[in-house]
Amino acid sequence: MILSKIYKNTLLILATCLVLSACATKKQVVTDIEGQMQGDVYTGTETVEYLADGVPDRVFFATNETILTTASRETLRAQAAWLRKNSNINVVLEGHADERGTREYNLALGERRANSAKDYLMTYGISSDRISVISYGKERPVDAGSNPLAWSKNRRSVTVKAN
Amino acid sequence: MKKNLFILFLIFLIPNKAFALIEVDITRGNLNPLPLAVSPLSIDDNSKKSFENILKKENIGSEISIIVENNLRTSGLFNPLNKDAFLQAPDIANLKPRFEDWNLIKAQALITGKVRYVDDKLRVEFRLWDVLAAKEMMALAFTTVPSNWRRVGHIISDKVYERLTGEKGYFDTRIIYVAEEGPKTQRKKRLAIMDQDGANNKFLTLGNELVLTPRFNPTSQMVTYLSYFKNLPRVYLLDIETGTQEVVGDFPGMTFAPRFSPDGKKIIMSFAKDGKSDIYTMDLENRLVEKITNHPSIDTSPSYSPNGKYIAFNSDRSGYQQIYIMRSDGSDVKRISFGNGIYGTPVWSPRGDLIAFTKLHKGKFYIGVMRTDGKGERLLTENYYQEAPSWSPNGRVLIFYRETKTNAKGEGFSAKLWSIDLTGYNERLVETQTDASDPSWSSLLSN
Amino acid sequence: MNRSIIISSVLHAALIYITAMSLPFLAKKPLDIPPIVSVELIQIAEKTNIPFAPKAKKIIEKAKEKEKKLVSEQAPPKKVKKTKTKTVVSVDKNEKIDTKAPEAIPLPEKTVKKIETKTENKQNPDKLDEDVKQVSEFEKKEFVDLDNIAKLIDKAKEDTAKVVKKDNDITQDQDKNIVTSGLTLSEEDALKAQIFGCWSIPLGLPYNEDLLVRIKLMLEPDGSVAKTEILDHARMNKPGQGFYKVLAESALRAVKLCQPLRVPTSGYERWKELQLNFDAREMLEG
Repeated sequence: MILSKIYKNTLLILATCLVLSACATKKQVVTDIEGQMQGDVYTGTETVEYLADGVPDRVFFATNETILTTASRETLRAQAAWLRKNSNINVVLEGHADERGTREYNLALGERRANSAKDYLMTYGISSDRISVISYGKERPVDAGSNPLAWSKNRRSVTVKAN
Repeated sequence: MKKNLFILFLIFLIPNKAFALIEVDITRGNLNPLPLAVSPLSIDDNSKKSFENILKKENIGSEISIIVENNLRTSGLFNPLNKDAFLQAPDIANLKPRFEDWNLIKAQALITGKVRYVDDKLRVEFRLWDVLAAKEMMALAFTTVPSNWRRVGHIISDKVYERLTGEKGYFDTRIIYVAEEGPKTQRKKRLAIMDQDGANNKFLTLGNELVLTPRFNPTSQMVTYLSYFKNLPRVYLLDIETGTQEVVGDFPGMTFAPRFSPDGKKIIMSFAKDGKSDIYTMDLENRLVEKITNHPSIDTSPSYSPNGKYIAFNSDRSGYQQIYIMRSDGSDVKRISFGNGIYGTPVWSPRGDLIAFTKLHKGKFYIGVMRTDGKGERLLTENYYQEAPSWSPNGRVLIFYRETKTNAKGEGFSAKLWSIDLTGYNERLVETQTDASDPSWSSLLSN
Repeated sequence: MNRSIIISSVLHAALIYITAMSLPFLAKKPLDIPPIVSVELIQIAEKTNIPFAPKAKKIIEKAKEKEKKLVSEQAPPKKVKKTKTKTVVSVDKNEKIDTKAPEAIPLPEKTVKKIETKTENKQNPDKLDEDVKQVSEFEKKEFVDLDNIAKLIDKAKEDTAKVVKKDNDITQDQDKNIVTSGLTLSEEDALKAQIFGCWSIPLGLPYNEDLLVRIKLMLEPDGSVAKTEILDHARMNKPGQGFYKVLAESALRAVKLCQPLRVPTSGYERWKELQLNFDAREMLEG
């Protein structure tokens, strides 16, 4: 009786181990959707507008992150160069979040994203007087979808001409 | 003396041995809502005509009783019986109910009453009867201006609720919320206010600018909220009676997530600057601003304890959103949420013993409650997206908003208000004219 | 390399073994909370006898010890002391009101008692000075005369308190006595099942408070109820005990609703007095 119980338990535990390890491997398989995402940062161009030729207006972020990716830094360097050339133009950085967070936290998160873009522009010589920041949290999504791709497009900081 | 006592004791003991009292433990019962009958309030012909002229309602007596009936039903604790089965006429029932008749239709409690038109005023009497014990439990009367007739219905509901449950009701209350319209990517949002049952809906702003997160002050006459007026997201103060608005404080950046302190004298909110958000208070009398938290993280969604001594808030200082509490001066910060997932929007219950929150775990959003030390977490409801619980004034019900998942084309979005009982039962859609979000429950208006 | 594999696998095996030994619940079926069964037809056996549900019994004993009193009405009346305490008020009189300006409603054809409510309203005492009156109607012909019952209990308390003080062991002894002279298992089950069906538990109650209501019944041979008493009646009108009152009233309603009670066909002397202990905690917690 006791032996059979132990035997049963051992089987159960082994089965659990197998199931868990299966989970672990499965996760790694999931990567980008249709090549438009890397990790969960949007890398497509569908929603991107241009401030000038070769100067994209927005950068994208990973879930819950405010760190700039290599591609984002490249975009911001192009914006900085364009701003240096057009010294009469001021900009507003609009920070946004996806819909998968509470409203108030997302407002703060959007602000933090816009500021991380602002800081990078400033290190490339753009005066903070020319940059203002506003957060819309999750209030102004570009994609109304409820899926990872839509969310990745909405996690963004957009540089908009203020004048 | 000792001897006497001993004799006394013997006298006691002997009959006891023979006829020991049999005890039976009743540990179960039915958890069905209590069946009760709300008899239409009786009304005489003259009064009926007067009210018909003033209020354009054919029979104000039955209108009031319908309000009572609906309130009691939505509470989930009562089951108002169908009026068609009532055997006794309203006027006679109010004088002397025939309890046998009410017993027959399985009513355990009965509400009767009378409406009269006296000196241009509405006078309502009502009685609550215990049908099985065949006695009156309560009798009250109110006199008010006729236009207040809905509130009379709510006050009766509150009194009945309190008499039958032992705790205060929550029917004579209002809800302020954000009315939403338009496509998901360009939502038009307006502040709106309505009675707890959805009646008397009024829009307070025009929808020219984005407005978010309105909250009542303790007397329910003022509202603090976030407005994007002139594209500057700032905390505003609105007087509901006069309609006057003003910006709260002079901050060089975004202020958001406002609430009142329990005494109504301060507003507590977040101020975001240079990528970090801290919690501040502003005294409404002397306009003094005080910084409460000072941390490079995001600190937001503050909520005072009912005694004003503590503040619960949301911070990502551990890496993810978690719930913390601190003293109201900002000292003694302690994390209280340790479960799996991320936690937001802590709201201290009016009773002080629980904190309601929003939780995100494995792609699902939950509304839950925990004790103020973070223990005893109970998740009440799970959905694709829902957040921002607000307590009913008696701490029994939570109202929150829920958004639907859109399809592949991004269609099918809606935002609605829902309520749920503290026990996790009785989840209900709160009907609103438009889509709705960010609800805040007022205190009891009559107190 | 090989060695570390061996060590590793030995350790893993050990770990699995330990887990297997210490997780017996995995092999068991999950705990099943029995559904509420209201059995209608029950064979009454003659000789079965069961002790109380241990949980409820413990609670009752605790309550008894705390209050230092013995529940017994068998004391000969002549021993009753005449020192009455006027602490008990009828339910209706002490109603809680806190509206802005509730007025008294005169009841037609009835004498109206005006009673000023006092001190009960702890939530907002400052509002009370407004003219607050309450109509109290008490139907004397009804058999639930709470006033008298409460007085009776008070008398009994005074008498018995002394005895209990003297020797606490005796109360324990009597408890045992009660157990052995109780109803048979099926008799008790029949009664319980009936009352389970009649009792609407007030849903708004807090589940963490001490909410045990003990009601004593005087029964007729046909199972109809001649008299009911709430045994901790004084608690009904204590401020802050609103929940208790609500629960007690629901228990009284259950008894009324269930009349005539499903009592054994024989042995009237044995059960003509019966105590019901209404305990909602199990239901409200679950």
